[in-house]
Amino acid sequence: MSDGLKRFSVMWLALALFALVLTGPLWGQSRVTPGGLTTAKSLGSREAPITIEVFADYQCPQCRLFYETVTRQLIDNYVSTGKVYLVHRDFPLSMHTYSHQAAHWLNAAAAAGFYTTVEQALYDKQDDWAPTGKIEPILAGVLSPAEMKKVRLVESTQGAQLDAAVASDMALGNTKHVDGTPTIFVSHRGQVTQLPTGGVNYALLKQYLDYLLQH
Amino acid sequence: MASPTTQIANPALAEASPGNRTGRALLLAGRLVLGGIFVYAAYAKLHFGGAWHLQDYHFFFAMAINSYNMLPLPVVQGMARVLPWFELGLGALLILGVGLRWVSSAVTLLLLVFMAALTRAAMLGLEINCGCFGYSSQKPTTELFHDSGLLILGLAVTIGAFLTQRARRSPA
Repeated sequence: MSDGLKRFSVMWLALALFALVLTGPLWGQSRVTPGGLTTAKSLGSREAPITIEVFADYQCPQCRLFYETVTRQLIDNYVSTGKVYLVHRDFPLSMHTYSHQAAHWLNAAAAAGFYTTVEQALYDKQDDWAPTGKIEPILAGVLSPAEMKKVRLVESTQGAQLDAAVASDMALGNTKHVDGTPTIFVSHRGQVTQLPTGGVNYALLKQYLDYLLQH
Repeated sequence: MASPTTQIANPALAEASPGNRTGRALLLAGRLVLGGIFVYAAYAKLHFGGAWHLQDYHFFFAMAINSYNMLPLPVVQGMARVLPWFELGLGALLILGVGLRWVSSAVTLLLLVFMAALTRAAMLGLEINCGCFGYSSQKPTTELFHDSGLLILGLAVTIGAFLTQRARRSPA
């Protein structure tokens, strides 16, 4: 083998090793897709008799109220018992400066497997990040350094796919004529019904879900 | 006894007099339109999303009423069950012209209550769907504009109904 060929081979080997080291953390990390992210942002069993789809904006106060007064109880009493499959859809409204950014980070967290923790943190700390857009510290406050590293990695390497997932949810919302948040759709036995905006409290929703489960 | 000057200054009275065909036609048109709108309002609360909801309409309407944050839950639930049928009944009676004075008075009173609720929601800046005509209804501010027109119509029909009755009772 000539010296030139040897040098060429060594150079390529070194380059390959360098690339391997550089991309090491990405091994085993699957490519983010809108469909995969929808699954990551859904709770409960797909086989549940009722599906509830919530179009939400993390900067919207009504969405926070809905999450704190309805969603948590819904998860405890209907999702965890296999009666409801709860699907989150991102619908950041243009009137909220940082809601798209929040959805972007939420999707990164969902792709890394930390959807529920980050969703709760975004709503609980809405007053902290909504005026400034400092969302990353909110996530860092509820995730361990190792978990945060995973989220940052997804965010830095698959940012475009995360935005595509948000855009996909918004496009779906537009086809369903969603014009505000939270907008809630309930599916049961093939019939999809939109709940009236603003008045869904847990007591009323519970009565409706119990009625559906009996029919 | 009204003088000719008084009659000219009170066109509503003149229009609603039994001898005036235009007044009668206007009253008929007014009650048919108002009655039709009330029947449609009831229909929209019972039939939406491409299907009848005769068994579960009250869940949805209760959520719509509850969005106003005005009433305790039991009252909200009671209203949700009754109001669509009440609107249907009032609308049908208006169309049929049965008990017109009392029915149109009830309709006007109901519209005043709706407007008070809508005004309150608009003043509080509530981002709600008013629920007036089912769940494709407009925001409170837009619906307030529509209801103002209905209230004027309701008042006109009520006044017309009372004037017609009075004219019938009084000798020609």
